[in-house]
Amino acid sequence: MNATSQAHCGSRLRMAVGLTGVLMLAACASMPPAPTASLQAAQRAISTAERAEAGRYAPEELSEARTRLASADTAVSEQRMIMAERFADESRVEAELASAKTANVKAKAVNDEMTRSNDTLIDEMQRSSGDKP
Amino acid sequence: MTRINHKDVMLRGTLIATTVASVLLAACAAAPVKPDGAAEARNKLTQLQADPNLGSRAPLAMKEADSAVRVAEQPQDDKELAAYRVYLADRKVDIARAQAETSLAEDQRAALSAQRERERLNARTREADAAHLAAASSERQADAANLAAASSEQQATELQRQIDVLQARPTDRGLVLTLGDVLFETGRSGLKMGATGNLNKLVAFLNRYPDRTALIEGYTDSVGSEDYNQGLSERRADSVKSYLVGEGIGATRLSATGKGERDPVASNDSAGGRQQNRRVEVIISNPAAALR
Repeated sequence: MNATSQAHCGSRLRMAVGLTGVLMLAACASMPPAPTASLQAAQRAISTAERAEAGRYAPEELSEARTRLASADTAVSEQRMIMAERFADESRVEAELASAKTANVKAKAVNDEMTRSNDTLIDEMQRSSGDKP
Repeated sequence: MTRINHKDVMLRGTLIATTVASVLLAACAAAPVKPDGAAEARNKLTQLQADPNLGSRAPLAMKEADSAVRVAEQPQDDKELAAYRVYLADRKVDIARAQAETSLAEDQRAALSAQRERERLNARTREADAAHLAAASSERQADAANLAAASSEQQATELQRQIDVLQARPTDRGLVLTLGDVLFETGRSGLKMGATGNLNKLVAFLNRYPDRTALIEGYTDSVGSEDYNQGLSERRADSVKSYLVGEGIGATRLSATGKGERDPVASNDSAGGRQQNRRVEVIISNPAAALR
């Protein structure tokens, strides 16, 4: 009797432990980790764009990237981790676009300046050769 | 007739088969629906890849854009996931374009740089040429100036020679040529025949320097009345002028005046002094331009 009762008790304990484990797992599943890597990547991409003066050359893209990162943070605080990760990815790509556009605008500006100075050079030469044929 | 009927039947059969096939195909195509915006992203990418200047640039970004577009094109029931994928694809195509354009600009910069070097070299060459030209021209000017200096020096030498021939003496009033009384008979104003040698030298000189004018002044000694001497000095001066005009010197260049007994150059007490006082002086103007 005692033995059976003990055995019964042990099996109940095991069941309780198992149940707790399942509950804990379930809790874990309902609380997925924040997409830290994606958030950090977005933040890095924004910093890179800022250093390249994207605020001046691609302000719309940079501002959009910041907005998306803010949305990602909000989603984390609301436990919507999948949304958070997507916002973070979008923010990173937007910041990368800001950097790419900044580089492009700068490269074109340099070329424009060179074209202008070349034209001036040609102009001056034609003028001076016109003075002394 | 029967043949036509047979053909008709065959045509109809083909038509039905085609219709069935197309309906089936349509059903097939309708099943996977591409998410909204995926087609636009694909279009942008296709345009970029077809651009002859950009298509082969930024290969890594191009590849990433292409895979992102492929992912975005997959049918997806989850609208949010589909929108996220389209967003990524769209931005990655934009990134690829920006990078390709930057790469193109960098290549163009190399060409611009080469052009600038060419133009600079041209400018330097031209400057050097111009400097050579200027140097050559100033050399020529210097030569011309030297020539002019040499020639004016020659002219001055020649003038001095002429003055020496004329036995004239330079004074503040100009060159003064004194013609002695040997020109005239005593008390007469007509020129002595054969006494015109000195006058002919004067004619030659005035012909050689046509911008010079001459003032002819007659003088006498104190023998005789003052009035008479005044008249005589005037007549003698006039006859010298007439002779010069007769030799072709313009009358406007010549003026004649009588000074009478005034301004003797020697004492009238001796015969020798009186002889010196009986004279005609020709003062040849000394225009500044003539000596330059």
